[in-house]
Amino acid sequence: MKTPTRPLVATCALLISGTPLAADELNALIWCDHADPALLEPFETANDVRVNVKEYEGTAAGLTLLEQSRPGDWDIMVIDAVDVPRAVERGFLAPLPEGTAPTGDYFPEVLFTDSVTVDGTVYAAVEKFGYNTLAYNKAAVDPADMASLEALWSGKYDGRIAIYDYYLPVLGLVGLQAGIDTADLDAATLETLRAPLMDLRAASRQVSDVVASQTALATGEVDVLIGGGEWLTAVLNAENPDLDWTIPEEGALLWAQSIAIVEGTERPELAAKFIEYITSPEGQARLATSSCYWGMPANKAAGDVLGDAEKAILRWDEQVDYLSRAQLYPVPDADTDAAMQDLWTDMLQN
Amino acid sequence: MRLLSWAYLVAAFTFILLPVVVLVVFSFQDSRLPVPPFEGPTLKWYAEILADRALMEALVNSLIVAFVSALVALVLGFLAASGLARVYLPGTAAMRALLIAPMTVSYLIIALGLLQMFNTLGVRPSLWVTGIGHVVINLPLCFAILYAAIGEHQKNALKAARDLGASEVQVLWFIAAPMLAPALGAAFFLAFTFSWDEFIIAFLLTRFDVTLPVEIWSMLRSGLSPATNAVGSLVFLVSVGIVLVLEFTLFRKKSK
Amino acid sequence: MIAPALLWTLVFFVVPFAAMVLMSLAHLEGREVVQGYALDNYLRIFTDPSLRKGIFVSLEITALVTVLSVLLAWPLAWIIASRVPPRWQRLVLLLAVLPFWTSYVVRSYSWALVLGEKGVVMNVLVGIGLLAEPVQIMATRAATVIGFTHFFVMLLTLTIYSNLIQLSPNYARAAEDLGAPKWKVIWLVILPLTLPGVMTGAFLTFVLCIGDYITPQILGGNNELTMPQLIMLQLGRRGDFPMASALSIVLMAIVTLAYLASARWLRMERV
Repeated sequence: MKTPTRPLVATCALLISGTPLAADELNALIWCDHADPALLEPFETANDVRVNVKEYEGTAAGLTLLEQSRPGDWDIMVIDAVDVPRAVERGFLAPLPEGTAPTGDYFPEVLFTDSVTVDGTVYAAVEKFGYNTLAYNKAAVDPADMASLEALWSGKYDGRIAIYDYYLPVLGLVGLQAGIDTADLDAATLETLRAPLMDLRAASRQVSDVVASQTALATGEVDVLIGGGEWLTAVLNAENPDLDWTIPEEGALLWAQSIAIVEGTERPELAAKFIEYITSPEGQARLATSSCYWGMPANKAAGDVLGDAEKAILRWDEQVDYLSRAQLYPVPDADTDAAMQDLWTDMLQN
Repeated sequence: MRLLSWAYLVAAFTFILLPVVVLVVFSFQDSRLPVPPFEGPTLKWYAEILADRALMEALVNSLIVAFVSALVALVLGFLAASGLARVYLPGTAAMRALLIAPMTVSYLIIALGLLQMFNTLGVRPSLWVTGIGHVVINLPLCFAILYAAIGEHQKNALKAARDLGASEVQVLWFIAAPMLAPALGAAFFLAFTFSWDEFIIAFLLTRFDVTLPVEIWSMLRSGLSPATNAVGSLVFLVSVGIVLVLEFTLFRKKSK
Repeated sequence: MIAPALLWTLVFFVVPFAAMVLMSLAHLEGREVVQGYALDNYLRIFTDPSLRKGIFVSLEITALVTVLSVLLAWPLAWIIASRVPPRWQRLVLLLAVLPFWTSYVVRSYSWALVLGEKGVVMNVLVGIGLLAEPVQIMATRAATVIGFTHFFVMLLTLTIYSNLIQLSPNYARAAEDLGAPKWKVIWLVILPLTLPGVMTGAFLTFVLCIGDYITPQILGGNNELTMPQLIMLQLGRRGDFPMASALSIVLMAIVTLAYLASARWLRMERV
């Protein structure tokens, strides 16, 4: 028994000693785009710090994680911009030090002042945005059909649709199709969405996460993805340029992620520095083209750093039009949220 | 019947080996999508994963957790098996049942229970906590293997040693352990493998320092890429290498 | 000497389990867990169609996988034990369980690649003209069942094989001497003798299959949800620990029932 384990232990020791030890650590609760080493490493090297990241899925889960943690466990959190008030209300976020993320060069439509500012105090900086809309394979789908969400219910694409497995944007889109603004989604209007949601479900092949959706689109198993957008197709652009996305006439959902300092952090200066880096033109460009998913940088100044090809994939020049037609994510209260998740579970299970 | 047997064997092996072959072949895929058509060999995905800091750290974490948790499970299981084999107590059957019980419970349930308990106690998720979970699932395994390995012959030998005045530690170390060496080896190997490959406990009970299966899961969720194939192939080839080495060293000993 | 192991099992298995039982009686108010002593969660599991369906989905998949795996593994184990020359048996067996050593998460992922519309299987079937066009396997229950069966055929082949080689060849020889045809020998003599091995393997299959999250999550395309998927949904998306606990306890009750049903054939200490 000793013989096989000895080299093993030796290997462990070797590998451990090979890991550079940073002077300080920053613990961040993030979305997967922030896990990209190309994004983190410049900051880590410049500040001699190690950024520990933990991904989470959906604001409800993120808040539960914070609930179960102790003060000081987390320094940074990436959160849906529209959910910032929810987190602030429960005391999870610390005010952003003044001047941390100057918004002078921001796209004015994604300042989200109403969300990131609570009682006159700024709690978060918007960092990246994009759309949950229709992604499709233009070699297999008539692009003209994609001008309306109606196409998905028309029967023409039955069995070739995938639904992105996140309840908020997809319920939002189903709502738009039914003529309900995302802001008006509540328990009552939600019930009227049950039938169209189930119809959509019947017309679809699968409900899938990012990778399964990408796989299905890229391999031609499905041709349309509701809930998808540039964040899903951009990374595949080199392999399959036919993958495209559009905003139909009914509109689309605008997602915007923001970054904030978690209340109780023991390293507020470092955390602020990290946010400064993320919202700087260089950080913004790296975040926009992160290996996990792409998205528009909130800070326009990133445009000077990004290449023309990257900007073309991000559709930099069309943002004004897109932004004017997109609606915000629904912001459900706890009961509506539960009702939405129940509806979503019913959809998955039937 | 003979022909049918061989046909079945070939069919079964096709089924069993198909996913592995596809996995390995497409780890050399020279495009972003690990699906046919195969576009020519490249080693770039291997280079990419070997340079991936998070992945390599997860690999080391997995080795450490598997090694330590297997060792703890082995020691606890060994002590319990020797203890229970020593004398027959009225509670023996009940104790045995309790020790075996975790084997009949899904890992997910064990993980959830530990997660809630540690949450309540204010203990942060970590590799340590994951290791504790892995000992919980591997202890019954080690115990069962070792308990089964202690036959009448072994019992008599242990009894003789005690009668001759050996201390309990001496009995365990000089008599029981060498006598049970093959079973100890097998138990450790199995426990190590189970911990190495365990996902759900590690998923729920870690924070930043994760194990390899958890890291692979987040790779899977973050984008389609032959790099995932490369990780899988690498783990596979290295494990098979270790298994073959073990197999041939043990095999040779036997034929001597 | 038994104390450390007992203590470990008590502290890290029994106590968490008790905590979970307690948690399953609590409920979520807004986003806070409120401790209570009500059976509401259980009631909901059996009345909410989506949750109740999860139980059936899990049971159906698990039953199908268990039966399929036994049916496929038994002949394989028997062929290895009786047809393959003894000196090659270990090697063939090693080959039969080779995929064990790919990472478990990766195994399901490979099946996703294999079974996809552009995957190897469809390419071959369409290529040789067996199918006119690809059919959908990926993201269906069939994919989940195939992924599971693959793993458990390996496991069962191992347990049944070790059972078979322990049998004395005299049983078979005696039956043959008495004039029984080969199939009758297998059916009436060898098969019953391997029943304990089969049942132990089948029970393990049942436990591991019904509690697995990864395989249905990767291969099932979210077209139906098993109990572990429902549990993870409660945990990951809602932070609803009470409901997750209640579902876990129902899951555990099912496994216990399966254990009781098969207990007389099982030799758990000897797996």
